[in-house]
Amino acid sequence: MTESLPLALSLLYQLGATASFLFLAAVGLIIILGMMNIINLAHGELMMMGAYVATITHHAGLPFPIAVIVSFFFVAAFGAVLELVIVRRFYGRELGALVVTWGISLVLGQGALLFFGPFMPSIKIPGGSFSYGVFSYSVYWLILMLACALLVLALWIVYSRTTYGLQAKATMQNAEMAKSLGVPTSRIYTLTFSFGAGLAGLSGALLAPTATIAPFMGQQFVAPAFITVVVGGATNVIGGAIGSSVLLAAVKTPIGMALGAFSGSVALLVAALFIIRIMPNGISAQLQKYLDRRAQGGWR
Amino acid sequence: MKSIVHLIGGEADIGHTRWFWIGLAVAIVLLFFYPTQVSSFRASNVAFYLLNVPLGLGMALLWGYCGVLSFGHVAYFGIAGYLYGIIAGNMPGNPLGPITGMIGGLVGCGLVAAIFGYFVFYARVQKWIIPILTLVFTLLLETFLGQTAGYQWRVGSVLLGGYNGMTGIPWFQLGGLVFEGYAFYYFCLVIVIACYFGLRMLMNSRFGQVTIAIREDELRAELLGYDIRARQAAIFVLSAMLAGLSGLLYVQWGNYITPSQVGLLQAALPVVWTAVGGRTSLLAVVISTLVLNWLTYTLSSQGNQYAMVIIGALLVVTMMFFPRGIVVMLAETIGRRMPRRTRAET
Repeated sequence: MTESLPLALSLLYQLGATASFLFLAAVGLIIILGMMNIINLAHGELMMMGAYVATITHHAGLPFPIAVIVSFFFVAAFGAVLELVIVRRFYGRELGALVVTWGISLVLGQGALLFFGPFMPSIKIPGGSFSYGVFSYSVYWLILMLACALLVLALWIVYSRTTYGLQAKATMQNAEMAKSLGVPTSRIYTLTFSFGAGLAGLSGALLAPTATIAPFMGQQFVAPAFITVVVGGATNVIGGAIGSSVLLAAVKTPIGMALGAFSGSVALLVAALFIIRIMPNGISAQLQKYLDRRAQGGWR
Repeated sequence: MKSIVHLIGGEADIGHTRWFWIGLAVAIVLLFFYPTQVSSFRASNVAFYLLNVPLGLGMALLWGYCGVLSFGHVAYFGIAGYLYGIIAGNMPGNPLGPITGMIGGLVGCGLVAAIFGYFVFYARVQKWIIPILTLVFTLLLETFLGQTAGYQWRVGSVLLGGYNGMTGIPWFQLGGLVFEGYAFYYFCLVIVIACYFGLRMLMNSRFGQVTIAIREDELRAELLGYDIRARQAAIFVLSAMLAGLSGLLYVQWGNYITPSQVGLLQAALPVVWTAVGGRTSLLAVVISTLVLNWLTYTLSSQGNQYAMVIIGALLVVTMMFFPRGIVVMLAETIGRRMPRRTRAET
């Protein structure tokens, strides 16, 4: 009996770490998808950019938390430029947007390789580790879980308590109507894309100490991020992201622990295929249906 | 006979004038005579450009004619290539080995595509989900193949070989005729011509017309009584098998294959060829596949590191300024310049 508590805690920790990884990898992507119906295939490269900015500024002497914030703003500014120059031509053309952002990702990945070379010394994982029972825990991953919780809170505040959030939701529901009521929809799109890109940069920076800093590091986030987004769906952005990260972590963690990391990744894809077969619009559509039903029940 | 002429000359692809057909015939004749004028090294390079054409045509079929985008068609390229290597490699000295490998590779990648297609098309997922899932699929396949180093990853007598890939894959042979050097060039050329005209006829047939109808309006096609899920899945399998055909030719060409052939960079290439050429025209994609392969090869063989940056930038520029494809838009411009009388003789 005394063995079961440490085991349960360790499982919970693994689950939390996987879920936070998936959430961080997907959050910028899902914001842009949910709000603007644009799939940003350059997402992995934006995360790579965030990781590079954080690493370079940190090696230049900035404390790590400030380096993370710097990369948020740097990548957000880059995202704003991308939106103004390229992405805005592709609203309403989902597949066109997919292809053009893929072109951008090729240029960014290869550009980083040419500019920075194939390798960069990474950031030492802050915080060290401690052990409880026979299992050890990394402080940094616990901090990341906390960061995810804070991020969810921040997103909730942004999208339900600020003018920007209100206008963004109005634009998402009916852009024409919002525009005729005086919402600057074009600026909202720029801001949203920039915000999503900034979040990708922030995630990249936060995950930088746990990863190898290399031009193609974005690729390792691509598969988990997109699976999370596909399973989450685009109906209720934040709920979908949380639900799908937790669900997929619950699939991946035990399989990954038992059979190895690669089997865990395969399990992710297989789970995604089965989940979309049952819920083609993702978890968030299901969640929204449930919430709507409850809201209707409340009125009666 | 007349119906075949009608099928080939139909509206599903660019080019209906007499001058167009004369030009195409001249181009084909030139391609047939090309090896007699150059070294076998040169012919082998051009064979490499040619062997990529079925992959490009598969993308055009799926994206341009059916409206479904896949970012992971190189997965089927890789599956067919690896299967050929495994099957033909396990039958050394047996003249039937390569043909068994060809059939096994095509059937294998078709089966995988059918399973994948069942899940995505019968779930009626949103349009953007298919490219994402196909991309994830090919990335996972690359990871899987990358960790197959060592003797425990062996099928019969063939090693999968991890990141170094599978080597010593045999040439294709029919009876006593081994397709290497110039013979391989002609093998590729005949396959490319057969694929092009076959697909052109297919798209002009009733089946092709329904496919285009589904692209134009899924709901309307469905209300007219067509099972769009089955048709989309069928096109997906067909285009995966075309990608597989390229994979088969590729492993015969280089006698090796590595996991990077199913990686992210390779996955981008067929999309670039199709977008730059013009996805709604088979011939435009054939042309852009040949030209862009030549461009990539020339750039990278000169040690130019910017090859992939240029290809990526080309994709961005095409999507921004030539959304219907550079070759198609050029062809339209030429078509407008032609005297009216010639245009009417379709």
